[in-house]
Amino acid sequence: MVTKVMALHSLRVIFAAAKFNLIITLRFFSGTAIALRLFAPIMTLGSAWILYNHIYQGALAPEFGSSGYMSFIAIGNAFYVFVFAAAFVVGRVMFWERAAGTIEATFMTPMNRLAYMAGIMVAAALNSLIDFAAVFLVGIPFGFQVTSPNIPLFLSSMLLTAFALFGVGLIVNAITLTFRDRTTTANTLMILYLVFSGLVCPIELMPQWAQMISKVLPLTYGLKIMRTSLLGVAASGVTYDLAILFIMGVAYVLIGALTLKLIEKNLKKKALLSVF
Amino acid sequence: MFLRVVLAEARKNLKQYFFTVRVLFWTLALPLGNGLYLYFLYLPFGAETVSLEFSASSFTVDLAGFTLIGQLLYSFFTMMLLAGVAFDRERWQGTLESVLLSPANRVAILLGMAIANTLNYLWLLVGVMISWVLFLNVNILIVDPLALFASILLSYLSLAALGMSLEAFCIHSRRAHMYANMLQEPIMFLSGLIFPLQSMPEALLPVSYLLPLTFGLISVRLTLLGGASIFDVAIPLTVLAFMVLIFFGLAIWLMGYAERSAKAKATLTQF
Repeated sequence: MVTKVMALHSLRVIFAAAKFNLIITLRFFSGTAIALRLFAPIMTLGSAWILYNHIYQGALAPEFGSSGYMSFIAIGNAFYVFVFAAAFVVGRVMFWERAAGTIEATFMTPMNRLAYMAGIMVAAALNSLIDFAAVFLVGIPFGFQVTSPNIPLFLSSMLLTAFALFGVGLIVNAITLTFRDRTTTANTLMILYLVFSGLVCPIELMPQWAQMISKVLPLTYGLKIMRTSLLGVAASGVTYDLAILFIMGVAYVLIGALTLKLIEKNLKKKALLSVF
Repeated sequence: MFLRVVLAEARKNLKQYFFTVRVLFWTLALPLGNGLYLYFLYLPFGAETVSLEFSASSFTVDLAGFTLIGQLLYSFFTMMLLAGVAFDRERWQGTLESVLLSPANRVAILLGMAIANTLNYLWLLVGVMISWVLFLNVNILIVDPLALFASILLSYLSLAALGMSLEAFCIHSRRAHMYANMLQEPIMFLSGLIFPLQSMPEALLPVSYLLPLTFGLISVRLTLLGGASIFDVAIPLTVLAFMVLIFFGLAIWLMGYAERSAKAKATLTQF
């Protein structure tokens, strides 16, 4: 009975946090901000198109495989908006609470912290779906094509990646709370994902040291599954990728929840919550 | 007096930038990451070299070097672009009126900001160069050291002069940060940073030729990686020299105009 009440309470927290964040997003909606977020993927698509069609005239390295190059790039770029949601929105929740002067009140409420963060992640993910769809639409004139759609696999890749990135967001929050930094940790993570997840190049073509880094990033596996679900290539290893992504997600969420709890306890003990 | 203002402004900006030692890590990580991203963009094509064509000459340069030089000059450009928000920062701090009420020479203030950003850039220059040479074995081919020196000097001067113009422009704007961020991606695309300029769609070339970064990239890449002589890069160097003069003059004029106009309308600290 107690567990049921707690679960219901957590659901209410998730719903309330998501609703609150979506209202804020709508209230401060800015077309310029959306356009700014789309600049990077559009420029990458444009550059990739010029490289593929003008400079190398469609000739790819044999190791690249059989998937269409522009579809490969479009999926990578569209998926990257999830990183923005996780690292930039979820990862900076506590920074903004502190900046708004509400961090003490937030930590004094009897709500489940994970539920609160999950609510924000839900809002961020819903918000990022606009960018996600926009990048795919922009990709169509550049040559993006879905050759073999697998909807359950597509949804699994999105959900599992969002779950793993939620864990990453929790860890970033813990770091942000400790070091009082606003963007450094989130920016560093963004760069790690941008470079090493295989957004613009298959992992197998990267140098060995870069491949080692890519193996610990959940986006690497999420991307592979999503490409399989839309382009139907490399389907043989998809169960392995799903399993790794799930295990990684559980590990990141556990580590994130634990570090956040420890840091909250420490900050409360030293009365440092609202100190910048 | 002029020199003291330059030094004081440079020192103040350096201190504001290095508010914590972690900034150093970030200064190195971002350009290194962006450079690698561009390098990886070429890997699906199995490319190890890039062909650069300029003024009826063709040069083949190392791919790692091509992206390294691009990222180094682009990072300097970004730092100068972000220097433009220095007046915005003064406005947030509530010190813009005091700065502009002081009898300090305005050009000295702009110069101080530009010098601070140039010094911050040195960390990046050293860090990125070392890591790229170690990890990606950049092949360097210098035939004319004078041409290389002139290319680097004029590229940096023109970018610094452009940065000063943007700083002066930003006194007028309340959206300096947004403009600075918004300009980064299109300039990356248009300047020939990602791919050689000869592959740029013709309709976009006139815009590319307005950017000092475009000519800086051509001259430094050709002289450092392609073995070009001073005669091969005479055109981009001349254009860069003109740009230094034009942007420096524009910065002085904009600074005076922006200050007079903002004081007359009493809009200096208005958000």
